[in-house]
Amino acid sequence: MIRVENLIYRYDAEEPDCLLGITLEIAEGAHTALIGPNGCGKTTLIKHLNALLFPRAGTVCVDGMMTTDASSVREIRRRVGMVFQNPESQIVGMTVEEDVAFGPENLALPSAEIRRRVDESLAMVGMTGFEKRAPHTLSGGEKRLLSIAGVVAMNPRYIAFDEPTAYLDPAGKQRVLEIIRRINREGMAIIHIAHDMRDVAEADRVVVMDRGQVLRTGTPAEVFGQVERLTAISLDALPEGGGR
Amino acid sequence: MIRLGQYLPGDTIVHRLDPRVKILSVVALSLLIFAATPLEIALISAFLAAVMGAARMTPAHAAEALRPVAVFMAMIFLVHLFFTEGLPLLSLAPLPMRITQEGLLRGIYVTWQFAALILAAAVLTRSTPPSELVGGIERLLRPLSRIGIPSQDLAVMIAMALRFMPMLLEEYDRLRMAQMARGADFTTGSLALRTRAVSALAVPLLLSAFRRADELAVAMEARGYRRGPRTTLRELVFSRHDLGASAVMGLLILATMALRVTA
Repeated sequence: MIRVENLIYRYDAEEPDCLLGITLEIAEGAHTALIGPNGCGKTTLIKHLNALLFPRAGTVCVDGMMTTDASSVREIRRRVGMVFQNPESQIVGMTVEEDVAFGPENLALPSAEIRRRVDESLAMVGMTGFEKRAPHTLSGGEKRLLSIAGVVAMNPRYIAFDEPTAYLDPAGKQRVLEIIRRINREGMAIIHIAHDMRDVAEADRVVVMDRGQVLRTGTPAEVFGQVERLTAISLDALPEGGGR
Repeated sequence: MIRLGQYLPGDTIVHRLDPRVKILSVVALSLLIFAATPLEIALISAFLAAVMGAARMTPAHAAEALRPVAVFMAMIFLVHLFFTEGLPLLSLAPLPMRITQEGLLRGIYVTWQFAALILAAAVLTRSTPPSELVGGIERLLRPLSRIGIPSQDLAVMIAMALRFMPMLLEEYDRLRMAQMARGADFTTGSLALRTRAVSALAVPLLLSAFRRADELAVAMEARGYRRGPRTTLRELVFSRHDLGASAVMGLLILATMALRVTA
């Protein structure tokens, strides 16, 4: 369980707070969607979940460990994986398999175990056969899948996805959403930042954020039912007549 | 497109050798080549040719490896040709220089030495994937970490540089096109004008490189990168072949020493 309590954060002492007291619980194995307009603090929030940012006030607690406790940071980063928005700048390896191996290598796992995890993770995202390819020869969609495989290989309990379907064509989008569902079925909890509510219609819980605050929490049906409140913060609700 | 490392995939005995053996062999060969007499250079060349054959490197590959340094090689040759004292072969009278027999021989010898150095390195980069090369360097430098040289960080830095190179080239293309789309002209006008147009790309390119580096650092941290114990996907294993290759290198060193003693 990740417990965020009254989290307040600002990037710069001169600037106003960009997270104004967030309180949130993320259950193990759950699929939590995080929606809200650009700049509302979604990315800032998830960066707190694996100790990349630290609260100015309030606490973030992962499975009983405080992110501010330096001795827990390693374990917290192992438990909470992070797939960033731009796959391009999170690929480290010179080949696909080496990139996937990067996380497990940092965990100092034995080579045979790293091999097993690399193969499994690549199979999970449907990239078996790409092992020796150089990252710059991959398409945008493939890079996205690679960035997901690299996090899955660390075998985390929670994975935060920051707009995993951005810049993808409809087929690529479906593929990524299917992979996220598959990862969730494997028992990993998903924290999923999205703009398009259709992407998160299957989530267990939807958290709506606006201007650094949690506006509303509920099941997709509960949240998306309130079309007026949502359009007021410039999000498109589930299309009734439209659709894809 | 820059072909860094110019690795050519293959499955020859040379490809399969431990990168550490290959790196150390190239270092040893370079020292031998530097110190070699013309007779020794002949022996080393024969050896090098045999290794290139084993690695399935064709003369065309060798020429390709030498092409970037061709001008430099020509200069080395000409300097020795014109400025060595000795038996004149051809006088270039008003000019204060002449071609001598010694100059000709020395030019050929030194140029050959240089080419052999380049080819030895080319065998290494052709037959070793960059990742293995970096891994090999890391392992060889590891003893230095006891005196505070972070071999692991160094290896990661080299790997990042190799990984970022194609990315920066792509970014450069993107920026250039974005500026062209807004009317920038890189192809006409005086050289000074064109240089200025291209240098206008330097600042945005640098900024984007810094931003990328920043994002990458965060992503690496998120995936648990830090100083401390770390393992690798591929453990380097010193096999029978590596032992054999080391023995052959040893024999070559002994042979050149024998040549020196008997000569």
